[in-house]
Amino acid sequence: MSEYSIDASELTMRYSSLVAVDHVSFKVLKGEIFGFLGPNGAGKTTTIKILTTLLRPTGGSATVLGYDVVSEGGKIRPRIGVVQQEQSYEYALSVEGNLDVYGLLWDVPKLERKKRIELLLDKFGLRAARKTAPPELSMGQRRRLQVAREFMHDSELMFLDEPTTGLDPQARRVTLDFVREKARNGVTVFFTTHIMEEAEYVCDRIAIIDRGRILALDTVKNVKQKFGGVSVIHVRFADYNDDVCRRLQSLSGVQRIVCPQEKDEPLKLFVKDANALLPEIIEAAATLRLRITELRVEEPSLDDVFIQMINSKGESHDEQLS
Amino acid sequence: MNSFLRLLYRDLKAGLWSTKSMMIVQLVSPLIFIFVAGFGYASLIPPMTAGNRQVSYVLYLAPGVVVMQIMFAASMAGAMLWMDKRLAMFAQIIVGPFSRWQYILSKLVSIMLQGMLNAFIVFAIASPLLVGLKVSFEGICYIAGSLLLGSMFFGSLTLAISVFIKSNEAFNAILNVLFTPLMFLSSVYYPLENAPLIIRAVSLANPLTYAADMLRAGLLQVYVPLLPAEIVALIAESLIAFTVATVAFRRIKL
Repeated sequence: MSEYSIDASELTMRYSSLVAVDHVSFKVLKGEIFGFLGPNGAGKTTTIKILTTLLRPTGGSATVLGYDVVSEGGKIRPRIGVVQQEQSYEYALSVEGNLDVYGLLWDVPKLERKKRIELLLDKFGLRAARKTAPPELSMGQRRRLQVAREFMHDSELMFLDEPTTGLDPQARRVTLDFVREKARNGVTVFFTTHIMEEAEYVCDRIAIIDRGRILALDTVKNVKQKFGGVSVIHVRFADYNDDVCRRLQSLSGVQRIVCPQEKDEPLKLFVKDANALLPEIIEAAATLRLRITELRVEEPSLDDVFIQMINSKGESHDEQLS
Repeated sequence: MNSFLRLLYRDLKAGLWSTKSMMIVQLVSPLIFIFVAGFGYASLIPPMTAGNRQVSYVLYLAPGVVVMQIMFAASMAGAMLWMDKRLAMFAQIIVGPFSRWQYILSKLVSIMLQGMLNAFIVFAIASPLLVGLKVSFEGICYIAGSLLLGSMFFGSLTLAISVFIKSNEAFNAILNVLFTPLMFLSSVYYPLENAPLIIRAVSLANPLTYAADMLRAGLLQVYVPLLPAEIVALIAESLIAFTVATVAFRRIKL
């Protein structure tokens, strides 16, 4: 038996002139939470649709749980769970009815269905709405129902396509914790998001995808080290003006600068060697007669790495095109 | 439970049963047709020759109204698919342990069951009209065949249409445009023997005519001369419609 739940090789999906997924290769280990990160339109959902056998790839190959996604879809589907990005529910049934019918579709015995419904109503904060039909629920409640529904049945591998869209922070945390709990019990999770802090919180490994291509694939820590490799200096001035931004931008060793949009926001400098640059920043402030109220150095967040990576790859892609 | 039966249960509970108001309308309107229009026109139309025997207009109309009801009930199959597509339930089911073929079949069987139940209720309420009629085993086969094949043909047709339709309004508009000529260019309201030639010719190509004639044969022992050919045509057209719906399903974008 393979140690991988998913093994994709040179996976490609082309729609006439658009290449949604471009020779993507990756492997997902059994029992891990694998994050698939990327901006909107990066190819995340298309990849999920291929892996869940809804779409036939135009190139490459992939196996899920050891079965080929093109020729053995019938063996894959009974063993996976899928939360689609689109809202999905039985509009005329109550929350409880939705959970019950979905459990029945997956052949969960009646007593077990009842038990799971009670558990999920509590876990996902839907108890008060148990008799309410989805059209009368808020968007967040409908999303919680959709995610909860997928836990009515057992699956070896779960595909969660931006499952926290529309959820408030508390519901998001509950959902992510539940996903982690499932993973601890041996379920493999393929998780797409464009919210970096979610990936950082829940994923064992991540792949960053943009324009259909994987830009990075590793643990969150390694991606930050390898592809970040930079520190972020936060500087706050008592009387900030745009001159200081221009001045600091010209310093050697500054890879990127984010100037504040509001007066009380810090200026951010992405640099390779923060220690070497700190005296120069202080000197520049003195020259411009500006008082520094805050100066600190931080490791980049995954958000920083992600934006930096997408921007730099985007620029090189545009250069190639021109 | 077998996966097809699970899908069928879901269709009956989440699809049909949830549209109770629609089902009541589908039950009440045939009764109005039979008891109001039927008796109203019967005062103007004397007992008529249909096929091999004479029947009152009310008796002639009743089976036609029931197959018309089957046709409208069958449109629920398309409506259910359209709703499943809109709420991403189609993809959610297809990504589960079910095939597309099972999905289509469950829709058809659910509307067949609904059609049979509606027909049974209509016949039960209209039973005073049917006193004295004897239905043989052969007659029961005709009745069941008419209801099942009618459901299969019109259910498959509406399923195939809903594959290509992007809005509920367009779906309803197409059904209205399609169903109105089907109703009037058929043997539902009048026998075709004395109809103008062109109406007769068009009506004889209409599956609703076949289903109505088959039901009349079972219930009233009224046999039109072309009945055997009509039965063969209805079976063939139902199978073709089912095949078309199955092929059309492959075109659903997910």
